Amino acid sequence: MFLIPLIGVSIGVGIGLLLPFEIPITYKSYTALAILATVDAIFGGMRAQLEENFIFSKFMVSFFANAALAVALAYFCNVLGIDIYMGAVVAFSIRLFNNLSLIREFLIIRYRRRGSK
Amino acid sequence: MPRHSWKLGVGLASMLLGMLLVFQFRTETNVKTYLPQFKTVSELAIKWNRMQTDLNKKEEELQRLRQQIQGYNRDAELKGLQMVAGVTPLRGPGVEITLTDVTRPLRSYEDPNLFIVHYDQLELLVNELWAAGAEAVAINGVRLVAQTGFSCAGTTILVGNKKLAPPYVIRAIGDPRTLQAALTIPGGYIDSQILPFELGITIKQKNSLYLPPYKGSSVFNYAEVVPEESEEILAGETEEVEEGEGEKMAPLEAGEPVREGEEP
Repeated sequence: MFLIPLIGVSIGVGIGLLLPFEIPITYKSYTALAILATVDAIFGGMRAQLEENFIFSKFMVSFFANAALAVALAYFCNVLGIDIYMGAVVAFSIRLFNNLSLIREFLIIRYRRRGSK
Repeated sequence: MPRHSWKLGVGLASMLLGMLLVFQFRTETNVKTYLPQFKTVSELAIKWNRMQTDLNKKEEELQRLRQQIQGYNRDAELKGLQMVAGVTPLRGPGVEITLTDVTRPLRSYEDPNLFIVHYDQLELLVNELWAAGAEAVAINGVRLVAQTGFSCAGTTILVGNKKLAPPYVIRAIGDPRTLQAALTIPGGYIDSQILPFELGITIKQKNSLYLPPYKGSSVFNYAEVVPEESEEILAGETEEVEEGEGEKMAPLEAGEPVREGEEP
């Protein structure tokens, strides 16, 4: 269950270490949002898989749409002088914890079922 | 495939997450290395503003100094100093004064010593020229500089370290009319101290005079260049020197009128 994300992250870290890219300091906060969006998408995908209603296209679309929306919103509000960045972080964090708790519930239920068998 | 599609999606997303994490971590580390003391953007902004102001000031200064360097003409300054020091030949309008001893045969009762050009007469004549605004003076081809002294050496006059014999040709660069007017002023030096001794003197205005350069040595054994000192130190030093000179001057001054008194 957690093996796939772990392998993915380690491969990503490896690729990242090999590539010489660096985020310009101006876009630092946007990357932070993108990271949160990605984490959210990963847990969301895991939850969907556990609920057995995972649809690949829906996952990809919602992932990119969420990330793009969050970054765009933060950018425009930054231009207008509204500090919405924190709001986006909070929103993503709430979703994240929500997903995490659901995943936990599912895993506990599955473990119990297996134990009862 | 649909069963495992989540692996693909989540795996891809995880890879992206890993890459983003590395990039972000790099940026964050750089920020913490280069700007460790700043917690907030506004602090940084204040610092940046201050440094920008500093930079602007420094750039203005640089601009000013560059202009100064451009304006500074080494050759011109060197030329001016050389002219002052008298180490370059000069040409310019001025007067040419020829001073000779008395030419007529002396009568038996006349003291021949009174009818030759003395070093002090020459010196005072040159002094008149300086006072009248002469820019450069040469006597018989010997250029006068700041250290040039006059003294008596038997029948000749020692100017600097050159022995000169009459006729003395004094060439002075300056405004010819001013110089001549200053020399020939009634009751002036020539009128009262040269002509009564029947010394031969002719003053000619010249449009173009050539003055040779000073050819002596210019070695300073005792004096050395120092930065400007305060008034206190200078005042203390000059006082002592003046006292010493004052005592010596008195008998000399007393001696001079005696010679003048003998003249008629």
